[in-house]
Amino acid sequence: MSVHAAPVGPITATGTQQRNVDGQAIAITVFSTIKWWGRPFLPVLFLLTRRFPALTRILRELSFIHFARWSVVRRIPYNGPPQRKGRLRYPHMYFESNFNGGWEEYIDAFSHILTRGMTAFWGSSYGFPKPLPTAPFKKYIQDNETEADHYYSTYPEATSTIVQRALALDAKLAPLKRDAERMDPDAFAAAYRTFLTDVQDCL
Amino acid sequence: MGSCNVSGQAYAFMAMTPVKPGEEDALTDYLRGLRARGPSPLAKLPRTHLGRFVIVKDFHNDPSWKQRKEEHLDLPYLIFTSNFDGDLDSYLDELCETLAPEAEEIWGRCVGCPETAKGAALKAYLKHNQIDTGIFFAAYGQATVGTVKRSLSQRERMIDFARTSQGLEPDALQQAFLREFGGKR
Repeated sequence: MSVHAAPVGPITATGTQQRNVDGQAIAITVFSTIKWWGRPFLPVLFLLTRRFPALTRILRELSFIHFARWSVVRRIPYNGPPQRKGRLRYPHMYFESNFNGGWEEYIDAFSHILTRGMTAFWGSSYGFPKPLPTAPFKKYIQDNETEADHYYSTYPEATSTIVQRALALDAKLAPLKRDAERMDPDAFAAAYRTFLTDVQDCL
Repeated sequence: MGSCNVSGQAYAFMAMTPVKPGEEDALTDYLRGLRARGPSPLAKLPRTHLGRFVIVKDFHNDPSWKQRKEEHLDLPYLIFTSNFDGDLDSYLDELCETLAPEAEEIWGRCVGCPETAKGAALKAYLKHNQIDTGIFFAAYGQATVGTVKRSLSQRERMIDFARTSQGLEPDALQQAFLREFGGKR
């Protein structure tokens, strides 16, 4: 049986500043200012998303995200002068993502596949232009994005897709490793061929 | 802090600390120069999947957005985020010891940082400045860094093995497999 492995391949990280990149991984860091009604709305949205994780299921299906997070910053912890004490005038939403591929393609995927989700998450932010068409949304993200000063990935050579394939392969390989020694050679060869067919998507 | 910071066994940490007046340029230079000086200091924390340092100078304001009033940060702020394995306390214990030399250069330039940026005092400072996560998505939150690295390495070996073992007789195939991947009776 021949095997066509997905190459580790060239670096696919494109469309962003070099300091946002470590190998295949790209960092995106965005602050947006939230309107008054986002203050009660977003905590409820976060709670519902944690409880009914339809959004995260779609993120998982997109497969090019390692980790992502949204936070609402209502007040910044006080550390003494000269820092100003007190609440912020507006809440602000912090968003970060660690993904692979191109920045443009990432925003395109968010806009087209997570249209309602993006509207829910950023709809209460000042200046949010809706996810579609993508050009104004990309400008909005660029306007609110801050470049990383230092970004680190512990496995920079791996895309999120490759990590997930490697983990899936590990789970499927375990039974064959467990049983290989006690099989007779013909039974092993048959089991190996079945295994190899089964894990084509992981290689 | 709440479980909203957790997905699987992965933890999302964020600290937002004010940069001392006059220290922004030095901190920026230090952080941006880390890569040129060798491996990232975060590489010394083996439970870290991905992490970042970002200096935010101000919030973005745009007159066309019709905010009632603009909002500006009083100082530049340093944001440190990490996506790591396990619990926060033990991770910060490791960070505050292992990264003590770097911490002096980084959080030592921030308002309120303890005189000696290490150990329990630095840990308390970072926890004081923690911002909780609303939603944390981890594509493989059950897998530790060690598991990910082992699986990536094993996948490479499997790809090589699948190529090099083509055409082997069953007995030779089995022996080669056992040599490469072991076996348990």
